[in-house]
Amino acid sequence: MTTTSSGPSAEATWKRVLFRHETLLLIVLVVEWLLFYHYGTTTNRRGMTVGFGTLDRQFDILRHSCEIGLLALVLTPVILTAGIDLSVASLLGLCAIVFGQFTHDLGLPIPLAVVLTLLVGGIGGGLNAGLVAGLRLPPLIVTLGTYSLFRGLAEALTRGAVTYTHFPAGFLALGQERWLGLPMQAWIFFAVAIGMWLLVHRTMLGRSFRVIGYAPEGARFAGLPVGRNLALAYIIAGVVAAAAALIYTARLGQAKADAAVGYELFAITAVVLGGTSIFGGKGSITGTLLGVAVIAVLKNGLATLPVVIRMNAAEELSGMLTGLLLLLALALGVAPKLLSVLRNKR
Amino acid sequence: MNRYSRELAVAAVLALVLIGLAIWAPAFYQLQPLLSLATREAPVMIVTCGMVLVILTRQIDISVGSQFSICSVTCGLLAAAGWPSWSLLPAGAVAGALLGALNGVLIAGLGLPSIVVTLAMLVALRQGLNLFRQGEFVTLPDGVQWFGLSQVQGQVIVLIATAVLVVVMAYCLRGVAFGRHFYAVGSDAEAARLAGIRPQRVTFLAFVLMGLLTGVAAMVNVVQSPQVQPLSGSGMELKVIAAVVVGGVAISGGRGYIWGAVVGLMLLACISPALVHLRIEAYWEKAIQGAIILLAVLAEGIRRRRRRVQGGTAT
Repeated sequence: MTTTSSGPSAEATWKRVLFRHETLLLIVLVVEWLLFYHYGTTTNRRGMTVGFGTLDRQFDILRHSCEIGLLALVLTPVILTAGIDLSVASLLGLCAIVFGQFTHDLGLPIPLAVVLTLLVGGIGGGLNAGLVAGLRLPPLIVTLGTYSLFRGLAEALTRGAVTYTHFPAGFLALGQERWLGLPMQAWIFFAVAIGMWLLVHRTMLGRSFRVIGYAPEGARFAGLPVGRNLALAYIIAGVVAAAAALIYTARLGQAKADAAVGYELFAITAVVLGGTSIFGGKGSITGTLLGVAVIAVLKNGLATLPVVIRMNAAEELSGMLTGLLLLLALALGVAPKLLSVLRNKR
Repeated sequence: MNRYSRELAVAAVLALVLIGLAIWAPAFYQLQPLLSLATREAPVMIVTCGMVLVILTRQIDISVGSQFSICSVTCGLLAAAGWPSWSLLPAGAVAGALLGALNGVLIAGLGLPSIVVTLAMLVALRQGLNLFRQGEFVTLPDGVQWFGLSQVQGQVIVLIATAVLVVVMAYCLRGVAFGRHFYAVGSDAEAARLAGIRPQRVTFLAFVLMGLLTGVAAMVNVVQSPQVQPLSGSGMELKVIAAVVVGGVAISGGRGYIWGAVVGLMLLACISPALVHLRIEAYWEKAIQGAIILLAVLAEGIRRRRRRVQGGTAT
């Protein structure tokens, strides 16, 4: 039998902080960053520093991770409620196309088109919300259906061929220019991040997400409007996916039906890597942000390593390592439980 | 209501589609295109059987597409290295079973959530294959395509083999004690354990069988063309899960039949040729597929709600 000591000693508190998921992730991020800084920075023939260690590269990383970052941020509340949304990247694609049609085919002014696109995102999220929260259907299958539906609508609207380009410079600035030194879209990303942090950690609504994920029946008995709050999580995800679509379109200067294919995988990976339990009830926005950063630095850092450049394998390696990292994060999560089981057996 | 009402409803929809095609697009019923369609979908059918096992045990496997690609390339490389064609089927099955066992250890052994584990596997395996092969096609030696026979003979062999496999699986799942263990574990793992079943072992086996069937399916796919495409399995997981769900297998585990999933897949497989014959643009296929998944899950939800309102047992 075991005699596990209880009661918080100073040592236990210290350990708890050290073994907090966020702390571990931060260490991973710093180590990763330093490694890439050391191995990925070189000097070219003209004596200029190139590669990972340049400020431009850091801004590039930020620029390229905004869309996945936005999706990960809004997936966090959804996963906190023990739900999932596989359709966010498909909705992003649909919104990009719809925006292209608003501006090109209908000739609407940009501000109006932006508002309408965000509305379409809200409607898309609302469809998920209605089915998941209203009719209580399993989110995995509902969003699998809308994953197919949204992407299919984007393909049908463009007949798989139309690409919208030639957006006005004022709009493209959103994805390609800098403001106060930082890439324009980074400001939106930070604003949404702060907003989501306040929502999830500082409001009744946000805190209810965790309660719903932890014990839906309990939440209902406690008088929480479970259905309404659940619906809001999916609608927020839809609206922000539309915002990500605008940023994506502005960054690339084009809107195509296959915009952001596969982004949902990276976004979910970032959330789970950030310590949010896929079973709901546990997780934080800070963790998600760290998860996004770890993945983004990994992806971009690998592309600066001379070995990887020679092999032309940056994307493959980063995908593989991201998958392995996710498994490792999961395994670490169950390690204490497994250890205690083993100890009990002995 | 009949216990098969869900499956019969899907079968009725399929019948309607088929009748509609007979009236408005009789060209659909030409033998050769129909045979080709069936053969093309045969690998998906085999993977669907595996997915039924996994979903019955209340798990999910979204890494099947990547497993499928890896098994296909493995078969192709072995064939190119001069392995006799009869040995490719067991080789593919073993490769698949090993990948499935990896999933099984992580999910049944460590108790990790299957959706995240297989999501990680989906990415890691796919990118691992890309890293290793850089998207290269494998050219098969003579005598592998259609087992060295004519196309029609090969197609008939593939279809018969698939049909036998499906029937055996369907029988074993309902008629053999071990098959029923999957239902027991998916309905209530704790009750199953008290009844003397080992839930972890059954879950592990579900994933191993899933991988094994994926390997077999990969082989059935490899023989259909002169080259192996490394991307052949991408996106397959969605089609398979869609077929299973449309076919009435409950995502919450413990309910559903192989034949339901077979009907579900047939319905989904008919969409794209039906679109062509009804002169609707093929770009609508994905959207219609999504709508069908939503309708299926909606029907399930309404049925469950009605039963709850009537005061019956909630599932």
